[in-house]
Amino acid sequence: MDHAAAQLEKQHVHDVYESTAPYFSDLQSKAWPRVRQFLQEQKPGSLIADIGCGTGKYLRVNSQVYTMGCDYCAPLVEIARSRGCEVMVCDNLNLPFRDQRFDAIISIGVIHHFSTKQRRIRAIKEMARILVPGGQLMIYVWAMEQKNRHFEKQDVLVPWNKALCPQPLSEAGQPGRGRGPPQHPPCSACRCSDCFEGRRGSKRSHSVDCDTVLAGACCANTAEEGEEENGFYSTLGKSFRSWFSSRSLDESTLRKQVEKVRPLKNTGSWANGTISIQPSRHSSFDLGHPETSSTGEQNADEEVFVEPSQGPLEWLRAPTTRKQLNGDHPGVMRRNGGGNFLGGTNAKENCVDEDNVEEGTAPGSKLWRRVSAADSTDSNPGDAIPVEEQQPDALDSRAFMRYYHVFREGELCGLLKESVSELHILSSGNDHGNWCVIAEKRESCD
Amino acid sequence: MRLLTHNLLSSHVRGVGPRGFPLRLQATEVRINPVEFNPDFIARMIPKVEWAALLEAADTLHLIEVPKEPIQGYERNEEFLRKMHHVLLEVEVLEGTLQCPESGRLFPISRGIPNMLLSDEETET
Repeated sequence: MDHAAAQLEKQHVHDVYESTAPYFSDLQSKAWPRVRQFLQEQKPGSLIADIGCGTGKYLRVNSQVYTMGCDYCAPLVEIARSRGCEVMVCDNLNLPFRDQRFDAIISIGVIHHFSTKQRRIRAIKEMARILVPGGQLMIYVWAMEQKNRHFEKQDVLVPWNKALCPQPLSEAGQPGRGRGPPQHPPCSACRCSDCFEGRRGSKRSHSVDCDTVLAGACCANTAEEGEEENGFYSTLGKSFRSWFSSRSLDESTLRKQVEKVRPLKNTGSWANGTISIQPSRHSSFDLGHPETSSTGEQNADEEVFVEPSQGPLEWLRAPTTRKQLNGDHPGVMRRNGGGNFLGGTNAKENCVDEDNVEEGTAPGSKLWRRVSAADSTDSNPGDAIPVEEQQPDALDSRAFMRYYHVFREGELCGLLKESVSELHILSSGNDHGNWCVIAEKRESCD
Repeated sequence: MRLLTHNLLSSHVRGVGPRGFPLRLQATEVRINPVEFNPDFIARMIPKVEWAALLEAADTLHLIEVPKEPIQGYERNEEFLRKMHHVLLEVEVLEGTLQCPESGRLFPISRGIPNMLLSDEETET
């Protein structure tokens, strides 16, 4: 089981990040305000670890502490280092540190990439091990409950086609809001920080899923509510707000599935056998009807991002009425004079979390062949979209699908309480579609 | 990789436990990076440093004038703090290896980045 888990993660986490790392850009890396606040509140002279640091956007938030960045993905670590950060390549499951070294640790958008409960627990326990008693750990994971999306399953594969990533930021132009179609329309931030959502503003309840084949429809997985349709997207044709279902590797779920599954004919790639298209309950959205955002939307977006509160770390309520505060990500990425986001305290700064805001979407259904009936038990076969033979492009898209185990409300806390007794939960909440926890290492629990 | 980082690192080869520290450092390329001196920061780091490991690493790099131990009243001793600042933060190993003292396993440092990944066999429990 662990081997299968490692294989899945290799194919749909590590290899994807490694291949897409070149598309990351420093300028696009924004930090979640609450994570920044957590880091800034640490005592001067603290030792801090960012486990799963990616390109290192949190590593320079606080100059009074020593922050080490660790990531499994060497290309991402190289980028972080080029920014002058102290980094290393290592595995969350086997952290190369002595016990009780760090005063604080952050794990932002990492644990949801582990494909079994045991591995998720192990990753958290490893971080707890290297924490000093009294030290704090902050964890962010992507929530299953999203305002504008409906994940029917917790184990998902989120497609990402590098061919659709736009040119580097300087060429991409401003994020569009009611503007004409840019050459490379930005899409909302997924892990690819070079891509950012320019389609904002409309109150439409359907997301726009980009057809992965069509150029410019960047990062197909990040369509979200409120995207405006500009002329460019009118060419995309029908698409679906959907995501790919992944087989769960957790034993209990697996047992259920195995009982009903037909033997797979194609056992080549592990993931091949588990992908099926799960159309969302929303009907397909015809992109032939572009809408433009209202300026009201734009202003509302800016309101969302205020200066971090000076008071104690507070969790945002799960978004209710504000369309912009959807579960996908906090807002459009703006360039404030190209300045490094991390250095600024611009009240209007928008944070796009490149880690946690992905949404599962599928390319145009025509491109995908339903590979296996394996997951039919978990979905209504009637919902499945009959498709033609796979195109080569589709294959490319599939190569960049990232695995996520999206967390239910209470699941992260439950995990800690049940399996990581050395950690005591201080606070928890929802931050822009992520379940978040701050926990403290209990004193002398050894 | 700076020496403060080296001071935190340990081998996690299966079965090695606490005997995986400190990692034996070998450097083929070292660079000195000027870093802004923050006495308060350094003073706070001193209690967290494993001194013997630091001395061993500094010795390998032929760093001179490394204090053998924190001196009395180090918090206010600027000369001491400046030396420690230099040793901990300004010396960067760009190319080299880190060796597990127990298993002999080598971890490479390239372009300043240590790679601490183990193979499946080395970590399998």
